[in-house]
Amino acid sequence: MGIMQTDKTLPCNRLIFEVRREARLRQRFQGDLEGLMREYGLSEEEKQALRQVDLKRLGDLGVHPYFLPQVTRLFRGARHNHNESEAAQLYAEKMLK
Amino acid sequence: MAEIVSIIALAHAPGATGWLDKAPPHEQEALLEGYARMAGRLRAARPEVIVGIANDHLLNFRLDNIPDWCVGTAARWRGPAEWFRDWVNVPDYEVAGHPELARTIVRDCARKGINLAFSDKLEFDDNWSVPLKFLTPEHDVPLVPIHMNCVVPPLPEPARCVEFGRALAEVIRAWPGKARVAIMATGGLSHDPGGPKYFAVDEAFDRRFLDLLGTGDAAHVLREVTIEKMIAAGDGGTVELLAWLVALGAAGSRPAEPVFYVPSVPLRCGMGGVDWKLTS
Repeated sequence: MGIMQTDKTLPCNRLIFEVRREARLRQRFQGDLEGLMREYGLSEEEKQALRQVDLKRLGDLGVHPYFLPQVTRLFRGARHNHNESEAAQLYAEKMLK
Repeated sequence: MAEIVSIIALAHAPGATGWLDKAPPHEQEALLEGYARMAGRLRAARPEVIVGIANDHLLNFRLDNIPDWCVGTAARWRGPAEWFRDWVNVPDYEVAGHPELARTIVRDCARKGINLAFSDKLEFDDNWSVPLKFLTPEHDVPLVPIHMNCVVPPLPEPARCVEFGRALAEVIRAWPGKARVAIMATGGLSHDPGGPKYFAVDEAFDRRFLDLLGTGDAAHVLREVTIEKMIAAGDGGTVELLAWLVALGAAGSRPAEPVFYVPSVPLRCGMGGVDWKLTS
C-alpha cells in the first residue's frame, strides 16, 4: 500500500485513469464493468478486487492510492463528498475496518 | 525584463469548494478569511500573469509516461474537467494562458539542464479550480499552469524542486516581456487521499513545515523536509508540498510569512498559505 508501492503497469490503473477522463467509459463502468475489465486485460485478482470495491486489495496489487477514493466515487457519486457522504463512508468501511 | 512581484503557496483541497458547509463555522471563517488575505496580497502585487505549480492528480500524466514537470502552453484554459465538476463544485470557467512565457520557460530551462514537458492540452481539477476561485474569482489574470509529478515514484527529489524553482525565477526575470509575474505553488498541506489517514490531518508536521519556510533558509528546509517525512505525514497527499519547494527555490533565501493555517478534518486536509517577502 502507498504511493511508493504503485505498479504503474497494472491494467487496473490504466482503466481507472481513463474512466475518469471519458464519459463514454464511465457509462461502461456503470453498465458493463465485466466487459470493460476484460477489455483492459485486468487479472482475475484485479477484477475480483474492483468488483468488490476491495480497496485494501487494490492497493496491495499496486493501484495508485489516488485512485482508491475515486473508485468509491465512481460507485457512489462524487458530489458533496464530505466525511459522511456515501462515497467517503464506503471508503471508511473498505479501507479502515 | 519581467519582474517577479509575488511568490505564494497555498493548499487547494476540494472540500474548500465542494463541502465547506460540513466544516464547523470557526473553520469555515478561518479558511475564507485566510484565502481572502492571500487574494489581497496577490492582488496588491498587481500580477499580469501567474505561473502556477501544482500536482497533477493523475489526471493528465498517464502512468506510462510521467514527466517531473509539464508546462501548459495553450492560449486558453477551461475547467474543471467534466467528471470533477460535481466534486469540486465550482462553475465552469475559462482563463487565458500565456504561450509566449510558457514556451520561454520550457526553452530556457532546457538550456539550464532542466527537462520540462509541455502541452497545450491539460485538464484542470481541484489543483487550479480551487485556488483560482478564491484568488482570482473573475479569472482575469492569465495562468501558465505547470503540472508536476508529486505522487508517482520516482518523485523529483526536494533538492531538484528547489533547483527548478531557482532556474524558473532566473528564466522569468531574463524574459524580455515586460510583465509583472506572480509565482503560485499549490498543494498540501498534510492529507492522505487513498491511505489510512484519509480522515486525519498531521497538524504538528504542518506547523513545523510552515515554521521552516519562515526561516528563509532553503538548505535547512531541505535537511528537514524529506520525502519520507512527507509520506509519514500523509502518503500521497502531503508530498504535494514538493510544489511549494519549487516556490521556495524561486524565492531564494527570503523567508515566507505564514498567512493562515486551518487543520481541517472535515476537509480532510491541512489548509494553509504563505507569502514570501520579496522586499526587505
